[in-house]
Amino acid sequence: MIPRLGLSGITKSYGALQVLHGVSLTVLPGEVHGLLGENGAGKSTMLNILSGVIARDGGTIQIDGAPVQITSPRDATAAGIAMIHQELQQVPELSVAQNIYLGAALRRAGGLVVDRAAQEAEARRLLAPLDATIDVTAPIRSLRVAQRQVVEIAKALRANAKIIAMDEPTSSLTPKEFERLVQVIQTLTAQGVSVIYVSHKMDEVFRLCQQATILRDGRLITQVPIPQTPVAQVIETMVGRELAHASHRSFATDKVLMRVQALTRGAAVVDASFDLHAGEVLGIAGLVGSGRTELMRLLAGVDPADAGTIDVNGQTPGTGPRARIRAGLGLVPEERKRDGIIRHRPVTSNIGLPAMRRFSRFGIIRKAFLKARAETLMQEVRLRPFDVTRPIGSFSGGNQQKAIIGRWLATDTQIFLFDEPTRGIDVGAKAEIYDLIEKLAAEGRAVIVVSSELPEVIRVSDRVLVMREGRISATLGPQEITEANIARNAIPA
Amino acid sequence: MTRFPLLSRIRFRDAGTLLGLVLISLVFAVQSDVFLTQPNLINILQQSAINACIALGMTLVIISGGIDLSVGPVAALSAVLGAAMLVAGVPVPLAIAGALATGVVCGFVNGALIAWGGLQPFIVTLGGLSLYRALALIYTGGQPIFGLPDGFRAFTNGSLAGVPNPVVIVAVLALGAWIILNKTPLGEYFMAVGGNPEAARIAGVPVTLTKLAAYMISGLMAAVAAMVLIGRLGAAEPTLGTLWELDAIAAAAIGGASLMGGRGSILGTLIGCIILGTLRNGLTLLNVQAFYQLLATGIIIIVAMLIDKATSGKQGG
Repeated sequence: MIPRLGLSGITKSYGALQVLHGVSLTVLPGEVHGLLGENGAGKSTMLNILSGVIARDGGTIQIDGAPVQITSPRDATAAGIAMIHQELQQVPELSVAQNIYLGAALRRAGGLVVDRAAQEAEARRLLAPLDATIDVTAPIRSLRVAQRQVVEIAKALRANAKIIAMDEPTSSLTPKEFERLVQVIQTLTAQGVSVIYVSHKMDEVFRLCQQATILRDGRLITQVPIPQTPVAQVIETMVGRELAHASHRSFATDKVLMRVQALTRGAAVVDASFDLHAGEVLGIAGLVGSGRTELMRLLAGVDPADAGTIDVNGQTPGTGPRARIRAGLGLVPEERKRDGIIRHRPVTSNIGLPAMRRFSRFGIIRKAFLKARAETLMQEVRLRPFDVTRPIGSFSGGNQQKAIIGRWLATDTQIFLFDEPTRGIDVGAKAEIYDLIEKLAAEGRAVIVVSSELPEVIRVSDRVLVMREGRISATLGPQEITEANIARNAIPA
Repeated sequence: MTRFPLLSRIRFRDAGTLLGLVLISLVFAVQSDVFLTQPNLINILQQSAINACIALGMTLVIISGGIDLSVGPVAALSAVLGAAMLVAGVPVPLAIAGALATGVVCGFVNGALIAWGGLQPFIVTLGGLSLYRALALIYTGGQPIFGLPDGFRAFTNGSLAGVPNPVVIVAVLALGAWIILNKTPLGEYFMAVGGNPEAARIAGVPVTLTKLAAYMISGLMAAVAAMVLIGRLGAAEPTLGTLWELDAIAAAAIGGASLMGGRGSILGTLIGCIILGTLRNGLTLLNVQAFYQLLATGIIIIVAMLIDKATSGKQGG
């Protein structure tokens, strides 16, 4: 069979840094093809080259056996390639039909007037096999993410796409919505459309894909048939080493490191009281909006509390992030881009920021000292690519996270506050972060982990606080940490 | 070069600004016999000194995510207060210190309203633009202050090894600003606060003090520029410094400062000042009408921004 899509020998460099080393990818008609790899492996670069967003340095692209020139997004669309991005690129105020025909409006009266009726009829026809419940006249903003995704797929079909690439399509879908997406994808492949599916979630990949191409550090490692290949083997190939399946080890002591009493902020956090011990990993579970992030922000001094006290090592730290950092607390925020990184600054600056004075002598930053320290820390957490002088914004999410964690390691933080530490991070990096949390606890520091992923909470925590509507609804000891216990206490009565 | 990609990238941008200066100079050198003579080149530097002074402070403010539109009136207020002290017989060093303090206080007021008051820099300093000008006019009744002592004027009119003192002063200040920006925690704070204020706050950066420092330095620089100018003129006019803010912003932008904050270069700003000075000087030598000089300045700024856009697009990743 002639492949629907054939990329071969694709190379790409940014300056001295080569991010793709002659990568090839072959996708058959009607196939769902997984593109797998850790953050920074080169998946996004591949997709961006395929969709004409960035120019490749070398290599060829063939569609149905014929070479095509793709140098702009317009070329890609003309060649029948469509991208469904993680963050959907739609105009919220326009209707579903208008979004589907964005930039390609149907016209009448000699091209002067947009033919809305025709657009809506066509949009309805395109959406019928995908999700007939979507109202084509409704504004995009009124749709749920899953529905918007379907609209984006309909738009791709409108442009006669033969290849649809999906980048982490399920990151904000519920399990039920995922089932819906599976059906949509099956409808597409039945029509001969090929799908390139990028995801970190192995269960999805095994459910959907027939083939998977695995990248690592910008190189093609292998192409494997799915689901014949064992999951563990796929993961190990992605990560390039065996992942330890260590069970939970506890390093918790009796020594109280931090005592929180009746901490309150509006209705977001009400009357939160708990102790945190040296060497302990304290999980905080609860639904989104139950006050977990708000509690972390109160502890880190990012928001002021209305009432309540905090004691660290028997002393009451002042208010504001600086005082809390001095007291030994460090926040690894959920929204990395917004609250974590200084995008244009190198990793070294991002790491040194809270401790600039300590890295200085006579008011001058000792850059070599800072760089050496950053390199030691980043070597430990396996920063990739390993170059601490690159702007942090040029790293993948997982590697940015490592740098933010490194920031607090460099500051000798005693209490680590992790808010959704593995959000948007791939399997390999996830395991690394779990190992790191365990290591911090083993060193006698204390860790609080807020997470929406129950298996994650259960895996890392010695004790779990469950939050519900701003209050701590339960404290679960080591024997009581189960999904059922957490769920029962998290859901409002 | 490969060991410090960021460093080499900043240098890359500065090299671009320098290339622009060289190209403009080449055009004038071909067109005019006088342009490339030593006195004329020194003249250009001297004429650029005042703008450079203002632009150095402006660059730090812009990098920290703000803007300072009040620099001209701050300079005017510092000038008339300093001149009044000098004329009244206050010792020269004391009078200069008084004038510089005036600038710092004005900067503090701007900074306090922005950092503590949470007001927008553009609006606060727009208010300051009127306020400080009004104070200078009210204080002097709109009249220039004449009769500055020779002891004071000798300082700004003198020279060091053939280089006029104003140029020497700017060189020293630029070195100071470069060290602050690139070598000290404060410089890191400027870039962090300008790049992402919320992330900087969470990382423990003293955001309020950082902003305050930027505006105080800007006020100080405006006062220094005022001293250099009244020393040369021998008089202090309450109307001096009109539109200085725009020249300074232009120089910083040509030099690579991003008005979104977080990025900028001291060396780039200096070269930007010299580009603007060279344009004026060269076009005057060629007897080009003032209207066209304005036109050329506008075109240069826009061309610089276009080149910036075109080259930074290739720095993806």
